[in-house]
Amino acid sequence: MEAFVKDYDKVIKKQRMLETNDPLDRLINIVNEAKDKIRADPSSVSASLTALGKTIKTVSSGISEEHKELQSALSKYSKAIDKRFTGDMIAAINPHAFDNKENILRNTIAMHFIRQGNFEIGDTFAKEAGLKLPESMRHKFMEMFEIVEALKVNSLEPALEWSTRHRRELEKRSSILEFKLHRQRYLQLLEASRKEDAIAYAKQNFGYFGTRHTQEIMRLMGCLLFFDRIKSSPYADLIAPNANADIQHMFTRDFCSLIGLSCESPLYISVTVGTQAMPTIIKMSSIMKAKKTEWSQQSELPVEINLTDDTKFHSIFACPVSKEQATDENPPMMMVCGHVICKESLVKLSRSVPNGRLKCPYCPTESMSSQAKNVYF
Amino acid sequence: MNKINHDQLLSLEHPFIKIPVEKFRSSLKTEQKHIEKEIAHLTNTVSEISKKSQHGIMDANQVQTALEAIVSRLSTLKRRLTETRAEESLYSQRTKVRLQHLQEFTAIPTLDSDEFGRWSRVRLNRILIDYMLREGFRETASYLAKSENMEDLVDIELFVQSAKIEQALNKYSCSECLQWCNENKSSLKKIKSTLEFSLREQEFIELARERRSQDAIAYAKKHLTPWQETHMKELSQVMALLAFPPDTKCQPYKRLYDKSRWRNIISQFRSNNFALQFFTPEPLLNVTLQAGLSALKTPMCYLPEHRNINCPVCDPHTLGLLATDLPLSHHFNSSIVCRISGQIMNEDNLPMALPNGYVYSYNALAQMASLNGGKITCPRTGAVFDIAQVKKVFIS
Ligand SMILES: [Zn+2]
Ligand SMILES: [Zn+2]
Repeated sequence: MEAFVKDYDKVIKKQRMLETNDPLDRLINIVNEAKDKIRADPSSVSASLTALGKTIKTVSSGISEEHKELQSALSKYSKAIDKRFTGDMIAAINPHAFDNKENILRNTIAMHFIRQGNFEIGDTFAKEAGLKLPESMRHKFMEMFEIVEALKVNSLEPALEWSTRHRRELEKRSSILEFKLHRQRYLQLLEASRKEDAIAYAKQNFGYFGTRHTQEIMRLMGCLLFFDRIKSSPYADLIAPNANADIQHMFTRDFCSLIGLSCESPLYISVTVGTQAMPTIIKMSSIMKAKKTEWSQQSELPVEINLTDDTKFHSIFACPVSKEQATDENPPMMMVCGHVICKESLVKLSRSVPNGRLKCPYCPTESMSSQAKNVYF
Repeated sequence: MNKINHDQLLSLEHPFIKIPVEKFRSSLKTEQKHIEKEIAHLTNTVSEISKKSQHGIMDANQVQTALEAIVSRLSTLKRRLTETRAEESLYSQRTKVRLQHLQEFTAIPTLDSDEFGRWSRVRLNRILIDYMLREGFRETASYLAKSENMEDLVDIELFVQSAKIEQALNKYSCSECLQWCNENKSSLKKIKSTLEFSLREQEFIELARERRSQDAIAYAKKHLTPWQETHMKELSQVMALLAFPPDTKCQPYKRLYDKSRWRNIISQFRSNNFALQFFTPEPLLNVTLQAGLSALKTPMCYLPEHRNINCPVCDPHTLGLLATDLPLSHHFNSSIVCRISGQIMNEDNLPMALPNGYVYSYNALAQMASLNGGKITCPRTGAVFDIAQVKKVFIS
């Protein structure tokens, strides 16, 4: 890419040369010169005009030479672009996949901006596209971003107030946000060398979490022993450099979870996964086009698209024996040894052994097929 | 760590770089054409002046005046070219900025890095602005481009002219679009466009609708006959309209009179316009979204008991609805996601089965046990177990 960028600089250089030495100015100059000469010496008319004719010839051939050079450099570059960027999306496009669903897509876009805290863009878009956004969502995200802004400047109070207010719902989701916020506030006081305040804060707030976070509270109080040098003590890990970012993330995640939404914008996830998948989809669709089929008309993609861990949302169990994906009719079964295969494979394996004792394909353990148990991922 | 395959992802950026380079090229061509014409004119004029002065038709003063006229003509051209030249520097600069944007991308090592997240968000905004421009939401597009400081990364101006032409077509006027056809004659020929014929046909149909037969015939003679070699069949069909009233039930004349033909013309213009300017025929948003939704879509997405709020396809009112007609993803390899923490189970975070067969990740169960005195509650069944009862599961 670097060389490719540098090649373009050469084109720009040629363009700059033409820009600073304007062909029209050059022509104007020579005509003016001839005119001045004639004014100074009217008897030189014929000689000056002949000279002018010649100069025009040389200057203009120079100009067209420069133009040609720039043109050809640019058209060469344009061809190089075709060679460098070869992803031909046309085969992968299905113009009808979203037919009659424009408004769903547009609502998703508007919500995407609201979710990013980009309220003005979201509103402008909704207005231009004639959408009605749910007021309640807007209010909720405004509340969320106010709290996040406060967290960014290390002010934990709004987040604490919110999490105490939603304590029961948060606990139902095994959230530890409220405790983490108190913990953070306590550590902030210690870092600011306010030992007495920190102890008072702990007395006032840790009690409620005594049974759930016993270990952690013991450590938090233990670090008082090293109050003046926590960073070089066994408690150094308590002061993590990205604690603030972690808390922000935990808060947005829990906040979104409480209003039943994902923590990341679904549009962002889908488009990012889609761009990653495009090269594979393009390759596949051009092969399929040659066979006169459309990838988007299939019930299942014929190729596997690898997802990064953070975009895997459902458990996929592919039987290591049959390579088939588990279904309700063909569920995953765990044998005594803990290895899991699909039911159909288990049945097939046990058919081939007379006494019903089958050997696990992945370890030496033998067991009865009836001992295998359904597992649910 | 997820490495980025830069070359593969860069290969998708063809329009991004090609569009400004081609705009630069075409402005340059325009300028060059003007200057060449001017030089030819200049050479002629000077030689004429020279002749006239030799034959004594012009004296020295008259020659000076004539030369002055040349200078003012050159200056006028210079002024007239200001816009073209501004375009040249704009698109040349824009190409440079875009190349740098891609170069930044090549320096990002992994998909998990913050830099990749930032770059991807800019890319998403690019994709969204492209969508808005195509759908005619120019206000939001400009606002977003401006507030995100990415005006050089999007092509707002390129939609100004086409929006005007579409507006005219929406008001049943062909002339703006015909003018555009004329300006782009050679490029349209190259892509074998029949847009101009469709427009001519439509103008004829409108005359026939008003029952102005004489005008219609005159129009056809002038504008339709040049197409007879390639479009004889359509030509005779459309001529036959003169014999049928606009409310005819007879096909194909009923169809020719149908106002919905105008919509076809608009889409024909759009696709020609996109092809000429190297835009993809469909918005990138639709293309990438289809690929992404398909890659994410699983049978579980449509089963309420398997719903994951973090999964885009699982939302039955938004993206899930968009994905209904798309293919499901396909997997040859297992990947097991913890229903408590959302984390992937692997060697670092083993899958553990409860006595009821439900599997969760070790980390999530351990945290739950530590908060609840060693007890675990299965979130899907409500059954309570002791942490000691869980059993390792092996997924190969
Ligand atoms: Zn085994
Ligand atoms: Zn899903």
